[in-house]
Amino acid sequence: MATRTIVEAPGVARRRRLDETYIGEWLMTTDHKKIGVMYMLTGFFFFLAGGLEALLIRTQLAVPNGKVLSAEIYNQIFTMHGVTMIFLFVMPTLTGFGNFIVPLMIGARDMAFPRLNAFGYWVVLFAGLFLNSSFIFGAAPNGGWFNYAPLNELTTACGNAVMCTPGMNEDFWLLGILLLGISSIAGSLNFVVTILKMRAPGMTINRMPLFTWMTMVTAFLLLFALPSLTAASVLELLDRHLGTHFFQAQFGGDPLLWQHLFWSFGHPEVYILILPAFGMISEVLPVFSRKPIFGYTFIAWSGVAIGFLSFTVWAHHMFAVGLPPIAQAFFATSTTLIAIPTAVKIFNWIATVYGGKVSLKVPMLFALGFIAMFLIGGLDGAALAVVPFDYQVTDTYFVVSHLHYVLFGGTVFGIFAGFFYWFPKISGKLLDERLGQVQFWLMLIGVNLTFFSMHILGLLGMPRRIYTYPGDLGWNELNLLQTVGAYMLGIAIMVFFWNLTISLRSGEPAGNDPWDAYTLEWDTTSPPPHYNFPVVPTVRSRRPYYDKKNPDIADWKTATH
Amino acid sequence: MSEEQNPSPQLPPKERPAKAVQVQVPGPQSSYWPFALALALVIALIGVITNLIVIGVGVVLAIAAIIGWGLEKR
Repeated sequence: MATRTIVEAPGVARRRRLDETYIGEWLMTTDHKKIGVMYMLTGFFFFLAGGLEALLIRTQLAVPNGKVLSAEIYNQIFTMHGVTMIFLFVMPTLTGFGNFIVPLMIGARDMAFPRLNAFGYWVVLFAGLFLNSSFIFGAAPNGGWFNYAPLNELTTACGNAVMCTPGMNEDFWLLGILLLGISSIAGSLNFVVTILKMRAPGMTINRMPLFTWMTMVTAFLLLFALPSLTAASVLELLDRHLGTHFFQAQFGGDPLLWQHLFWSFGHPEVYILILPAFGMISEVLPVFSRKPIFGYTFIAWSGVAIGFLSFTVWAHHMFAVGLPPIAQAFFATSTTLIAIPTAVKIFNWIATVYGGKVSLKVPMLFALGFIAMFLIGGLDGAALAVVPFDYQVTDTYFVVSHLHYVLFGGTVFGIFAGFFYWFPKISGKLLDERLGQVQFWLMLIGVNLTFFSMHILGLLGMPRRIYTYPGDLGWNELNLLQTVGAYMLGIAIMVFFWNLTISLRSGEPAGNDPWDAYTLEWDTTSPPPHYNFPVVPTVRSRRPYYDKKNPDIADWKTATH
Repeated sequence: MSEEQNPSPQLPPKERPAKAVQVQVPGPQSSYWPFALALALVIALIGVITNLIVIGVGVVLAIAAIIGWGLEKR
């Protein structure tokens, strides 16, 4: 508890301190809820930026021989689309949810290190602005979101045998990623300590809400995965500016080293992007099915299993580079294995809904949409684990389809499920239900129009990242269809922002517990006070707020956990 | 929790001396050092692609921010 000395001079106007002004309050805040909101606002701002880039890509590819973008600008746009969506939208938004919700869920009054928390947010914001400022210099990163060597190199042999990027483009990527890594480490440490040390009395590990579980696993993944990306980025900067040759084959370096270092971060990263969404779905489904979650222990520990296994699968991104057969066999097997804990989750979610009194409110619609879309993306992933098949579709639109089903159909649907679910707690207002339903159906149709046909396009051999294509390859109709779907997604997102605006202005008051929910974050006002809980709650089961509302049939009377 | 005696109520308001009050705020105290340190780090890294002097400025600012953060009254 902080003690502040405030000088009061009755009758004389006291000059307000910086943190008492509106801007200063946000600039200097260390309150986890305000920081969470800032993360989410920043994430949605970059979602708009990344979405505009996606629409530019789809406009360019709508018809053969498109002339909307030049080849060079197209490279920058698709690279920044990936970087923005992954590092500046999904990660900050999920961190924002974690910041706002996790301390409330575990009955804590703030994060363990509030100022470190604020620091992590400001680094993300500045890194995002830094990365996007590259457009002003006409030098946005252009080597793809995974920025392969030697494309990212700057060497004396540039322009001869070596493909490279002589401008500042890759420097923006490398420095931006380093900054974002600093932020992620700060945030992850904070989550781990908060979750392990600041839970309310009685909230044992086995009683933690599943969103908290998945946030903890994600935080550990970040802590262990980021060092390889940081190391790769530093080595690359040394190559580019101090004349080392870590990734230059002609000087004894190894471009594949980049791929190994990147993907040993990059594949855990996929789970960093999806596990918190798993957690959100695991909170939404039971509340809107009026049942406890089915298979809590399996859902929690399958998340841990996914976390461990995610470090053993990275080279499935590299089957086509010529790995030895034993390595291919190993990574194909481990990739297939990871489907098991993932399927465990899906079966448990379905069992949660099965037999429940299902209420198809917008959070539930997005949660169900998540399961269906993620399932398609997951099955694509299992197909890509088959090495000969992977050879055929490597770097085609099949892979683009797979990753978008996982990250858009999965993570983004999860984010919207979580947002519609927790927005009443964050703002005190309900989002408009009808506009939410319009958004959901537009998104569901849009996702499938855009991304399903990419499977076929990939099988027809359309490589990813080409900026245009001739009109006689049989790709025209599918590309046009995808562009129509992408614009439909754009309209859906506009509906969302319209809903957000009118609901914040004149939305229906939510009350403290609009969904008759089970977990502690609902056991306080909406929005919560600065100190979260007047009295720190005591927990006796996995549904502490349900117990409080239903003392006669409380879970702790019958449950053994 | 006043630290001083109440001033005389007969004095006109503008002449009454200031009163220091300690307020218990449940929750962490706000701080501008996290913002300052983040900004300093970005400046230092911008220096990598612009000018060594900019790196120096960023590092100095970062050290100042770390010291300020460490010495800040909590």
